[in-house]
Amino acid sequence: MSEQDSAEHSEPSFLDVPTLLERSHPLPRRNWMRYALVAFVLLVLFSTIAGNNSPDFQTALRLISAFLMVVLVAVMGVVMYLTVRDHRAEQNRMMALEEMVQLRRWEPAAAMLDRMLSRPMLNPYNHAQALLYLSTVLARYHRYEDAIAVHEYLLDELHLEGPAGYAARLGRAMSMVHEDHLVDADRAISELRRMSGDESAGLTLIEIYRDVKTGHPAEAIELFTRRRDMLRHQLGHRFADACALAARAYDLAGQSEQAAAAYRDATLLSPAVELNRRYPEVAMLADKYPATPVPVMAA
Amino acid sequence: MKDMETDRTIMLSADMAISRFRRDLTLGLMLRVGLMAGALVAVGVAPFSSRLDGGMLLLIVGGIWLALSYQSMKGSRLAARSPSLIAMGDFDEAERQIEGALRSFSIFRAAKLLSLHHLAMLRHAQQRWQESAMLARTVLRQRLGALRGLSRSMRLILADSLLEMNDTHGAYEAIAGLYKERLALGEAMNLQLVQLDYLWRIRAWREMFDNVAAKAQLAELMPAGGAARSQAMLALAARKIGREDWAAWLMARAQLLIDPSQLVRERPVLAELWPQAASNSET
Repeated sequence: MSEQDSAEHSEPSFLDVPTLLERSHPLPRRNWMRYALVAFVLLVLFSTIAGNNSPDFQTALRLISAFLMVVLVAVMGVVMYLTVRDHRAEQNRMMALEEMVQLRRWEPAAAMLDRMLSRPMLNPYNHAQALLYLSTVLARYHRYEDAIAVHEYLLDELHLEGPAGYAARLGRAMSMVHEDHLVDADRAISELRRMSGDESAGLTLIEIYRDVKTGHPAEAIELFTRRRDMLRHQLGHRFADACALAARAYDLAGQSEQAAAAYRDATLLSPAVELNRRYPEVAMLADKYPATPVPVMAA
Repeated sequence: MKDMETDRTIMLSADMAISRFRRDLTLGLMLRVGLMAGALVAVGVAPFSSRLDGGMLLLIVGGIWLALSYQSMKGSRLAARSPSLIAMGDFDEAERQIEGALRSFSIFRAAKLLSLHHLAMLRHAQQRWQESAMLARTVLRQRLGALRGLSRSMRLILADSLLEMNDTHGAYEAIAGLYKERLALGEAMNLQLVQLDYLWRIRAWREMFDNVAAKAQLAELMPAGGAARSQAMLALAARKIGREDWAAWLMARAQLLIDPSQLVRERPVLAELWPQAASNSET
């Protein structure tokens, strides 16, 4: 908790988004193997032609070309080994990063992202994934404008599609709602709805949040009750987010009993401090409704 | 070939996949040794022989190697998407891709091992426990080398499949080695699920409840089904050792995520927590 609190209040002086976006772009791959292959073929041709033209030096030429071939094969082997090693190291860093984000270890995740994205990444897929993690970390520090910039880059420059593209669109829409860019958020929500219909819990969560922020509690409550099963099935413990926002909507609508019940459910699944950080609008509920107590370990 | 239980087409049985895998490994080894011998002759012997053109021989060996590598890479690419297809529940497409990868020849051991590993994952996701256990055992018997990370997920799949077949002893042996290894987060979550499933079967309620707060925290990171089942198991252990406060809290969390009747259907032992749900699921 103390680590989380300190992470919440300390604004990182790093993660300069434009610089990271510019520097992290993977460089076009130099195909060393192709050069080596051409050199190899030239060597074979040279040794064959030279050997036929000067029978006196045939053995010496064959020895030299055999030696050069061994050197070439050894160089190709070393280049391949180094390439594989670097790719593996990047893959390991990505796995470590994923764990840090999942475990909400924001400060080490931010430091690692700063290091990784400060130079060209090797694999385009890892690059896109690292930028998605960067947007999550930026949102954690409430730097929503920066998070939107990262999402725009992913979608407009890298043309991210499929599930990762959908996740980037969801993140962008959520950041827009946080920053009160409501017209843009509406457009982003419509785009997401065209892509997934009513089947996405992530989209429903954004819609509920938008309705809470814009003072439309009835719509938020209606969405929450209608899609409750889908929300809990798809979100797992993040269903707490939907419950907390529903509690705020019930509270706005003056339905205290339902608000208290929804807040109990929210704090049963997630600590109140985490919910308050994600949605500052629900922080005031803590003074009005009791949270679900966590049992203590001692008997 | 049709699966009698699900009426789905099963393209490749575990037996057939394993025998094809073994045959391809042997063939690949022979080819690699042959090509290596050819290269050695080209470099070591040919320069001293007037009848052998070492360069040409090396070129032929290199050409064959490149052609086979390209063929192997095509097979690997075919199988690379299968884990995400399995995760999305598109088993038929995953089956097609894995079958394609296993049927195509590969000079590299790693490509074949990965394909068999993917097939074990698929059979596990399809709840074909016997086949997934057989495939996992075959992968674990191999020398994994750079792919030694596979052994952790194979052990987890093996343990889970054996538990589903009520082989607690085999499951214990499968997971015992994992406690010494550093696990990735996803593997730690799977291990917790398998471990809880194992412990209730041997009625080790105290061991289940040990470190309950950390186990509940880890469950929070799981998808709804795993999170609910994990916490329901912990609730059962809490009740068995008289920690009703924890039992009530964990039960409330589990039933907020998944209907208790579904949990009881999956693990009838949980009927002790939700007797009403048990009678509902029976009717």
